[in-house]
Amino acid sequence: MEHKTSFYKALKAVVWKDLMAELRSKELISGMLVFSLLVIFIFNFSLELSPSTRAAVTAGVIWVTIIFAGTIGLNRSMAVEKDRGCLDGLLLAPVDRTAIYFGKSIANWIFMLIVAAIILPIYSLLYNSNVFSPGLILVILLGSEGYVAVGTLLASMAVQARTRDILLPILLFPVIIPILIAAVKASNGFLTGIPFAELTNWIFLLIAYDVIFTSVAFMVFDAIVEE
Amino acid sequence: MDQPIDTVNYFIAGYSVIFGILIIYIASLILRWRNLKKEEDILKDIEPSK
Amino acid sequence: MTSKPRLLKVLDITTFIFFILALLMVFFIAPLEKVMGAVQKVFYFHVAAGWVGMISFMVAAIAGIIYLVKKDSKWDLVGYSAVEIGIAFTMINVITGAIWARPIWNAWWTWDPRLTTATIMELVYFAYLMLRQGIDDPERRNRFSAVYAIVGFISVPLTFFSIRIFDRTIHPVVIGSNDPSAVGAFDMTSLMLQTLLFSILVFTILFADLMWHRIRLGQYMNRVDELKLKIQD
Repeated sequence: MEHKTSFYKALKAVVWKDLMAELRSKELISGMLVFSLLVIFIFNFSLELSPSTRAAVTAGVIWVTIIFAGTIGLNRSMAVEKDRGCLDGLLLAPVDRTAIYFGKSIANWIFMLIVAAIILPIYSLLYNSNVFSPGLILVILLGSEGYVAVGTLLASMAVQARTRDILLPILLFPVIIPILIAAVKASNGFLTGIPFAELTNWIFLLIAYDVIFTSVAFMVFDAIVEE
Repeated sequence: MDQPIDTVNYFIAGYSVIFGILIIYIASLILRWRNLKKEEDILKDIEPSK
Repeated sequence: MTSKPRLLKVLDITTFIFFILALLMVFFIAPLEKVMGAVQKVFYFHVAAGWVGMISFMVAAIAGIIYLVKKDSKWDLVGYSAVEIGIAFTMINVITGAIWARPIWNAWWTWDPRLTTATIMELVYFAYLMLRQGIDDPERRNRFSAVYAIVGFISVPLTFFSIRIFDRTIHPVVIGSNDPSAVGAFDMTSLMLQTLLFSILVFTILFADLMWHRIRLGQYMNRVDELKLKIQD
């Protein structure tokens, strides 16, 4: 008699494991946070972030920061699995492989959102500008979901290659350009007060991207972890 | 506009690129084939002695 | 080494003849465009190369799907060959696009959706090659390549749409556009259309010919590798 752990139980277990591990070590989030702050400081000195030009580039700066910090989070998240052999352990369990994929993605997504939640107020502080708007939060939710859906998939592959660290950005960045474009345009719109009705194009593009890539990753993940 | 602008140089550049890239690729195929042939000949020489 | 199959020899000759015919058609039959002059004639092979680039990558994605289902390494070879050839033709597309743009729009690059998407597609497929280079285990390399070929290919139309919405562009809508505000657009006469369609046909035949040769090369490589392994025993 075979008990297959239910999909949701397995999913929750994977997410919980990652969250608990991170709660203890705080490696991932602290790394992503420090990196994000450094990126913002680098932008401060390399772009002219004077009040007049800042409004035009805020959305871009935020998203570049998210994308680069996200790469670090993804790399660490999947490398840990491989190095500690956790992945093999997970795979031996009688669990639907896709539960592992979703579990990892959701955990990665939560980490990214935590980092974003800290970075946004810091950015507001540094530049005395309010970057809080419900629209922006929506865009960050949607954009980071798509990013993490593809990112988790590609990171699982990259981490098994010799060229592991440089490979993830090379694989990931060209493929997430649609998210970047839609997210920056929508964020910019929300930050500069453009009415929601005019930004629906970009929101729909984000949703479409999320749906398409989450489904594709879901279908294809099995091929990555089978041995 | 009575006369088209003189863009013959660009025309030549364009076709050089087209031929250039095609020739380079086909040449790479031929070269790789020849290298394989050499390797195979060497290996075939070794094999009978086993 | 197996000798070249007769059908392939026929295909080689056919490809060569058709290619010459296409060149003749472009050089002598297609009329000189009244505004742009000679450089417009680059357009025929530019579009044909872009077309082949797209179908190469579609073939690679489909081969990837089939490989994941059947696990037959022959399909991995098909995908890999298609990516290589696609890289070459997309490069032709992008560079000739810039060469065409320069005298017309006075800039080498205008970030228009089609060329930008083609360049991003090229980057995806270079990433594919780097992925393959980074993995030593052949079975895993084939699986991962298949996955990335699929993911990469799906991202292309999304990229195109986003850039298109992003940028009300100056790239001409080429077929039959009579809009004077689209800088660089030109009126396509029926002779031009025929030349274009014929070029696309010729390049498709060229694609098939190169694919066959590249796949044969891959099979030869496998045979030589097997020979090496046998000797090591």
